Amino acid sequence: MLKYVLRRILVFIPTLIAITLLGFVIMVSAPGDPVERMVSAAQSGGEIGSQTANQIEQKKFWSKKLGLDLPIFYFSLNTLAHSDTLYRVYDRNERNALSRLTSEYGNWEAIAAYYSAIDELNSAHGSIKVDSTMAMGYSVDKVKQDINQSYFESSALKATYNETVINAKLETLSEIYSAPYMTILSDKLDIVKEKLEAVRQTATPWRVFVPVVNFYPNNQYHRWIFGDGNWVTGKGSEFTKGVIRGDFGTSYRTKMPISEVIATKIFWSFFFTMVSVVLGYLVSIPLGIQSAVHKDSRFDRISSIIVFILYSIPGFFAATVLLMTFANPDVLHWFPASGVEPVRGFPEGASFFEVWSGRFPYLILPIISYTYGSFAFLSRTMRVSMLEIVNQDYIRTARAKGLSERTVVYKHALRNALLPIITVFANIFPIAIGGSVVLEVIFTIPGMGNEVFQAIVNQDYPMVVAVLTITGVLTLVGYLVSDILYAVADPRISYSK
Amino acid sequence: MSGQTATSQFNFRQYAWSQFKKNKPAYISLWILGVLACIALFAPLIANDQPLYASYKGHMLFPAFSFENVYELELENGSIEKIQLDIAKWKQMKLESVLWAPVPYAPNRSDYLNSDYKSPSGEQYFQTPTGEIIDMPARFRHYLGTTEKGEDVLSGLIHASRISLTIGILSMGIATLIGLVLGALAGYFGDNKLRTTRGQFYTFIVGLVLAYYYAFMLRGDMLSDAIGTSGAALLLQLLVSILIFTAVCYLFIWIGKLVGKLPLLRSTRNIPVDSFISRMIEILISIPGMVLIISIAAVAKPSIVNLMLIIGLTRWTGIARFTRAEFLKIKNLEYIQAGQSLGFSEARIIFKHALPNGVAPALVAIAFGVAAAILIESSLSFLGVGVPPDVVTWGSLISSGRQNYAAWWLVIFPGLAIFVTVAVYNLLGEGLRDATDPKLKT
Repeated sequence: MLKYVLRRILVFIPTLIAITLLGFVIMVSAPGDPVERMVSAAQSGGEIGSQTANQIEQKKFWSKKLGLDLPIFYFSLNTLAHSDTLYRVYDRNERNALSRLTSEYGNWEAIAAYYSAIDELNSAHGSIKVDSTMAMGYSVDKVKQDINQSYFESSALKATYNETVINAKLETLSEIYSAPYMTILSDKLDIVKEKLEAVRQTATPWRVFVPVVNFYPNNQYHRWIFGDGNWVTGKGSEFTKGVIRGDFGTSYRTKMPISEVIATKIFWSFFFTMVSVVLGYLVSIPLGIQSAVHKDSRFDRISSIIVFILYSIPGFFAATVLLMTFANPDVLHWFPASGVEPVRGFPEGASFFEVWSGRFPYLILPIISYTYGSFAFLSRTMRVSMLEIVNQDYIRTARAKGLSERTVVYKHALRNALLPIITVFANIFPIAIGGSVVLEVIFTIPGMGNEVFQAIVNQDYPMVVAVLTITGVLTLVGYLVSDILYAVADPRISYSK
Repeated sequence: MSGQTATSQFNFRQYAWSQFKKNKPAYISLWILGVLACIALFAPLIANDQPLYASYKGHMLFPAFSFENVYELELENGSIEKIQLDIAKWKQMKLESVLWAPVPYAPNRSDYLNSDYKSPSGEQYFQTPTGEIIDMPARFRHYLGTTEKGEDVLSGLIHASRISLTIGILSMGIATLIGLVLGALAGYFGDNKLRTTRGQFYTFIVGLVLAYYYAFMLRGDMLSDAIGTSGAALLLQLLVSILIFTAVCYLFIWIGKLVGKLPLLRSTRNIPVDSFISRMIEILISIPGMVLIISIAAVAKPSIVNLMLIIGLTRWTGIARFTRAEFLKIKNLEYIQAGQSLGFSEARIIFKHALPNGVAPALVAIAFGVAAAILIESSLSFLGVGVPPDVVTWGSLISSGRQNYAAWWLVIFPGLAIFVTVAVYNLLGEGLRDATDPKLKT
């Protein structure tokens, strides 16, 4: 038995890795630039130089904090032409432009020189002091406007890869720089043009067709899992302790640590799932038994039809109809329509009983909606497994022995028929954690499902991936637990091979 | 000899079909499904705000069947009148004779006179070609009411059935393809039946990496550009990539045969197909389906095609497990051994001989899978995740009903539509299970 458990746990490890990889892939391929999101884009007015320097500083900071200045994975397949340090460019658009330029010309060194030439031109804008001597008799406003435009164009140049667009942008810049007060910048522009020419002259497109594999011991995935400190002890971590130590990073939406958010949300998801499962068992086990024992009786037929109908009704439809009927001032206003407790909360020092009796009306409709789903599923499972048992030889033997029908059903058959129900337990964990997204949204329950939905609407991908990963891991635990329970409950199953 | 003829006369398919027909609910649901499919197929002819046939100023027009969107009609006085079919107010035009579609409204098209939630039984208004506003004539009533913007609910239901059925069927088509192939491979080869030389094995792995490199990495920019332009462009680029991928793979299989003859690489090894595929299944089922699908749908661009792909790519595990179990049984049967001893290729044995016999249990999983896929699609569109906002679906209709609980018709009718479709597929699945595997009959 112990050996079996150990072997199961060993099998876990690749599955766990695969689940984290899946979550990571989803996070990496999410649209939008996380750095851009975190840096408040609302910066307008003020001096151009200082402002952008601040912005770049912030971008660099967030890029480091989110770990985006690292390569993505332990290894990468790349072309011989591409640099393996491209990931250090923190701006997503610029990185894309550089990558495309490299695919076209195949000489990274020349392209890097071209890029740093534009960079220099760009940063030269910050050092210009605009005053009347510098303006050489032109109006200061006109000079400022020109510099602004020039800065805008040269920044855009960094993220440009299309040949004609590049030429057009260079053309515009040359035009601006034809003014006498722009000589400092036009020198820099000449260097840019020179470097671009060099890129075109020394193009080696064949290098694109040669694949190279690079290895990176320190990368985004590693950092996500193990944190940025020592990967075994977690000491010395600056920004994240890693998923393995329960640190899922910061939510984009609330800017709070994701683990904290999850800890506050998990209670209600767990509560509703547990209550509904317990209620479901209480109703469906006797029902399943009765309809299996009296197979093809009127009771069996009617209950089977009802269960089948319930089984095919989508949960969100049933929940909406319930709300429409029982929480609707125009029809029956028996229950409140949303939330799990009064909006104003409870007075300080309210007793346990007061709190739960205040919550009670809020919980009725959600519990019905949660329960009927599991109820339909459980009673079907129960009926099928009971039917299989009733036809077994040992039940016939028990009857032949002259045991009462009660003893046969409840002592001999039920025990064995309960086995498949144990398997269902494995599925409770993920639902409890992931919550029923749709039902929580409909009833505005502050649980995990609602949180996932809000995260998706607000494109808070770290949150989504955290929930996905946690549910995956807990499902695995659920399967293990139910396997072990199964082995304990059914002596016929032997895992000691 | 006579015993043999008796067995050869036993036809499993005929037997299963006769068993299936005895199951009245399942048989009836097959008919209902047929009707649903016809409604979905002919939705533009059943519910359309453009007439099927109209005669206008001496011209015979068939707007509902037209592929062009603009008619240029030459009038008697020589001038040309342009009619743009989708925005023309057909009901207010002076048509000499006209044949309307059974439901004379299109989804997503507002009837402003009847906006703001008109109930099926309430007062509705109609504007005649002469401009008068009268009580709604029976022919043009919104029999299932309207939405806030005055869109006809019945027409929305009819057109949404297309989306639900296509997502249900096509996503399960994808899942079936993956599930059948992987399940068959896992069950047939097991862990130690597929043997290859060390040389060929390693060469093939290198080949896979290179094929990916040349087909998808080098063409990555082209592919991402194509995503931005159009679906057709993307399809073309994808086809080219897949062609390159297959070509490189084949090249390396061929090279591998040569490499496998080298002295050190000649020894053979097992490829643990079954372990690999079973582990894949285990990983997929250990992630709660809804959370996974919602996460992927949140990252991908909202579109019906993406939704289909997501559901298809995540819901194949049941089919694969059933097929695998069936193949574990089949692979030891005489006719497979006969095929092997005749020297048939493994591909021929698996796909031509074994698969047709191993497909029955998968059929059951497919029927239940379609029901589940339709439920997933409607839940997602109810939440507004993964479905474009301008597409009318059963789920989105119910969701719009949540804005105003007085508009019960927005919740009840689409809910019934989902219920009937899902129930029909569930009944079908049960019927198939009972017909193909009498042991499981309950």
